[in-house]
Amino acid sequence: MLNTDGSLAQNGQNVAEASQMTEQPWQPLSGLRADNTKYPARASLEGEGIVIFKTKTGYRGVQRQCPHMQATMLNAELTANDTMVRCPLHVFTFKLSDGKGVNCPGFKVKVYEVKEEEGKFFGRLAN
Amino acid sequence: MNSAIDSFVLKGGHVLDAEQGIDKVADVHVAGGKIQHVGSREVAPGATIIDVSGRYVSAGWVDIHVHAYGTLGFANPDLVGVYQGVTSFVDAGGPGIGVLDQFMELLGHLETSLYAGAFIRPMGLLGLNFIEGNVRTLGEVPITRWIDFAKQNRDMLRYIKCNAMGDYGPGTLKLTKGLAEILDLPLYMHIGEFQMQNPEHLLAPEAFRIAEAGDMITHLYHGNLGQVIDDDGKVLQVVRDAERRGVLFDLGFGGYNFSWTVAEKAFAQGLIPHTISSDLQQFNVVRPVKSLANVMSAMLHLGLTLPQVVERVTGKAAKAIRMTDRAGSLKPGQPADITVFRVNSGEYEISDCYTQTRKAEKEIEPLITFKNGKRFDVNMSMGQDESNWFLQIAEEHVPDRAARLSERQRGFLSALAGRLSSTSWETSSAERLDIEKALELQEMFHEERSSHDLPLKDALNAVYASFLDQSFTMQIGLLLVRLEQPFAIGRLREVSSKRPLAA
Repeated sequence: MLNTDGSLAQNGQNVAEASQMTEQPWQPLSGLRADNTKYPARASLEGEGIVIFKTKTGYRGVQRQCPHMQATMLNAELTANDTMVRCPLHVFTFKLSDGKGVNCPGFKVKVYEVKEEEGKFFGRLAN
Repeated sequence: MNSAIDSFVLKGGHVLDAEQGIDKVADVHVAGGKIQHVGSREVAPGATIIDVSGRYVSAGWVDIHVHAYGTLGFANPDLVGVYQGVTSFVDAGGPGIGVLDQFMELLGHLETSLYAGAFIRPMGLLGLNFIEGNVRTLGEVPITRWIDFAKQNRDMLRYIKCNAMGDYGPGTLKLTKGLAEILDLPLYMHIGEFQMQNPEHLLAPEAFRIAEAGDMITHLYHGNLGQVIDDDGKVLQVVRDAERRGVLFDLGFGGYNFSWTVAEKAFAQGLIPHTISSDLQQFNVVRPVKSLANVMSAMLHLGLTLPQVVERVTGKAAKAIRMTDRAGSLKPGQPADITVFRVNSGEYEISDCYTQTRKAEKEIEPLITFKNGKRFDVNMSMGQDESNWFLQIAEEHVPDRAARLSERQRGFLSALAGRLSSTSWETSSAERLDIEKALELQEMFHEERSSHDLPLKDALNAVYASFLDQSFTMQIGLLLVRLEQPFAIGRLREVSSKRPLAA
């Protein structure tokens, strides 16, 4: 829908708010088994669905849907030496470090730090 | 490998040229970059013979809807042009009147003939989710600016484009129609609501009402709001009426604009595009569009015959953009723009822009392109290479090419950095872009380059080289407004203060 000034309604406030948060405490990830070998994989963090990628340097989580057209990020692929993730639908590409859109300025995904300890996964918002 | 051959004969190919009524095996004689003759004739002394038996030969393909320039464009548009069988294409809305000068400076060097389907709004298409909601920019362009440009660059302009979508009412469409009439150009309208929009009043039916004979409507088979069929799958009367009046329908496959379901229902009722175009851009070249050839294969699978498909990228396409003087046929005297292709048999998956795929038994594969007689061997994968479409700002390093800028270009960048410090802008969100600010930044760019007496091309390249590793081209105001201001100014200062490499 359009606002009265002709602009499109906002739907990305949650991302903007998230970036202003202070560092989050680690929370257990659910839905991801320790013996999982297939990535990207689904998981959830405090009830919120995220997608876990296994990169050259460890694990990283990303919000479940691409902010462009809500395609699932389960089909996204790692690129740029595992530092970015790319939605296959329209190749919108996001940095895993801060979630910012690379070829799509203004677009942003939530990214999560993920660690594994004694067979259990933990995550927290990174941006 | 490319090579200029003055005189050659394409021997033994199956020639498809609807304009001349040719659909048979025949030789094509070329000399001096022009078609000499189609049929049997003694080979001119010294002419090279190129055996194309078992292949098809047509006039060079014309894609009337691509995005070569701007935020949707490619680093090297030739990679989706002559290297994919396409000898002429039209940028559908990339430039508006405010940036047509930039568009011309940067794209004159291509091998593929590039034309402008100018956008009604001054900055051209903004790309991504950005919709230019402020109608004021339409009125802030004096009509004389359009008329003067069209007088001087008649050849460059092929149509005037507007988007029949959003909640702005039909005023923009009527305004564009009026401008097209004044300039004596076809009106070219996009139908289909864009991505997440859900307007109260659909503009697609209005587009069909406003269009007259020779005007074009693109995205015929899109599956978004504002389709050509109703909820029961029946083609709308307003569409039929437009077709009867001589309005031309264009395919415009695109990243959002082709649905197998809509295509099959409409095709079954005889609604067929007059022209086949790809709508290729950086966000759809990997999938689902891939190439004009892939889109042609989709139309072949839909049920068009091969001659029908080929005519829609040659004769009919050239007619639609009033370019039959130089394209669309292999008539003697025409430029030797030729595409050699074959039709492969096997199992091929062709996806639409949504979730549907179809298993096709045939695939059209271009092999050789000739542009004014110059040969280009087709390479379909280069266009899809990341370096051709992944537009990435070099945030963490200064592009190598910045080291090759001249002293004058550096002086200009330094002054531009100072000038940009006198205003302030905030980086766009996913939905909003400050178009007035983009225009203001562009104005500053022009004033500074003018006071430095720097040619437009050199000034543009100085800014591009500061931020982009690849040779993408973009509306300069849009490029700047999409950057974070401190980064933009800092980078311009950094580049301008570096010593150039020794010659």
